[in-house]
Amino acid sequence: MTDFVIETHQLCKSFKDQPALRGLDLHVQAGSIFGFLGRNGAGKTTTIKTLMGLLRADTGSAHVFGVPVTDADSAAGVRRRIGFVTEDKELYPYMTVEQIIRFTRPFFPSWRRDLEQRYLEMFELPKARRIPDLSKGMRSKLMLLLAIARGAELLILDEPTDGLDPAATEDVLRELVSITGSSGITIFFSSHQLSEVELIADHVGIVDQGRMVVSGCLDDLKARHQRVHVVLESGEGPPVRWPEGAESIRQEGRVVSILCSHNADAIVEQAQSIPGATVERFPVTLKEIFLEHARSN
Amino acid sequence: MLWLKGWLETRFRLLFMLIFTAPLLFVMHSAGAHATASSVSGRVAGLVSHVIPFFIVFTCAFLAGAGIATQTSFQASKGLHGSALFTLSMPVRRLRLLAVRAGIGWLETSAVIGVLCCEMWLEIPMQRAGVTPIEMFEQAATLIACSSVIYFLSVLLATMLDDQWRVRGTVLASVGIWVLCTQLSLPAFADIAHGIGERSPIVAHTIPWNVMAFSLGLSAILFFAALKIAQRREY
Repeated sequence: MTDFVIETHQLCKSFKDQPALRGLDLHVQAGSIFGFLGRNGAGKTTTIKTLMGLLRADTGSAHVFGVPVTDADSAAGVRRRIGFVTEDKELYPYMTVEQIIRFTRPFFPSWRRDLEQRYLEMFELPKARRIPDLSKGMRSKLMLLLAIARGAELLILDEPTDGLDPAATEDVLRELVSITGSSGITIFFSSHQLSEVELIADHVGIVDQGRMVVSGCLDDLKARHQRVHVVLESGEGPPVRWPEGAESIRQEGRVVSILCSHNADAIVEQAQSIPGATVERFPVTLKEIFLEHARSN
Repeated sequence: MLWLKGWLETRFRLLFMLIFTAPLLFVMHSAGAHATASSVSGRVAGLVSHVIPFFIVFTCAFLAGAGIATQTSFQASKGLHGSALFTLSMPVRRLRLLAVRAGIGWLETSAVIGVLCCEMWLEIPMQRAGVTPIEMFEQAATLIACSSVIYFLSVLLATMLDDQWRVRGTVLASVGIWVLCTQLSLPAFADIAHGIGERSPIVAHTIPWNVMAFSLGLSAILFFAALKIAQRREY
């Protein structure tokens, strides 16, 4: 029995000969909060839609809860166990808040009325209001309510905090962490807000041009990645063959900045061997890791 | 609960079509009130052959399939799918989604046709004199069965086109069917246009069973084709 709730292997998908996914390998552990990062057009939404059975992969495989998701109907059973927030947050314009809750509830036998009530109050959603009359932030909150109250084992959230003000974003993120802690559900979410991801995710994956370029436990990634600054005695140091793990090397004046993806000790040792050089090492943020990988690809 | 979604999507369209029967009735009433016994059958035949088929095509185009594929041309042109993504996140097979949505529209179309037939019988005195309630019921059943082809053609188009183009496509395709039926010598069982018009029970006083059976069979094929497209469709 696999521990992975989501597992893709060499997933490929093209639109009119334009590749969106080029052999994506993704592994999301049960009970984790997985932040799925990437630039616009990197393949995040395509991956999410494939997992939901809205798109069919050209080649490769995708499994959710160990069930192969090959088309819309094969994914139907799996969707009972998934809460989903779409990227555009579009809901039925002819329904009220109460009607859409009443509509969604019967599809999910594990529907959590307690969570429904809790989020109605917490998000201050007026039950009688028609959906077109809700602001984008309110629609985002309503979609989150509809996703979380399903009693799902997996939440797939495409830009869940899009349109929320900072206070509401904070509330939502806190709730996501809270429900993961209390009910052990897995959260797989995409976001452009790296600070949000850093705040709540315990695992991250960075996708670029349809490939997973970095994936793993956030703490491990941050521990592995370090920035090493080498201040040279003069403007040009001796040519150095940096050890493996020196991902990005930039020089501005006398300062050489190296982002290490691993093997930082060996890189520091090498830097210290340069005559007259001063070496410092710094922890890096997720944003730095993301930008370096996005740029290098 | 899919029925609730379908009902909320179409209720105003249904209301509009039911209200639309009133001006049609007025024309019918005028035809009936001023007709003499000798001219009434000709007038009713003309009404049944020309006005009612037009009304039925419009009803089918209006009530079929809204929301199955995409929401509006504006969204479709931008590659957006509106609330369809939310619907498709439900643990429901596309067969059920399509069947419930198409079923509700078909029931509503049938209801409009039923109301129209009742009104015809009640409002046109000369027709009431010459047609029994049972014949009027047979007329409604014939219209419902034969118009199913138009309805399910519209459902099929809904899996490929957005709502506005679907309506236009349905009307154009219906005109095409009409031209085929009137210009070519089709076998009697395939002549849907005349099944709705001149060969319908209140004009011909017989039930066109073969046309009805052909229409229902063709409707099933159209629904199956729509289902196959819906199942293969990517969002």
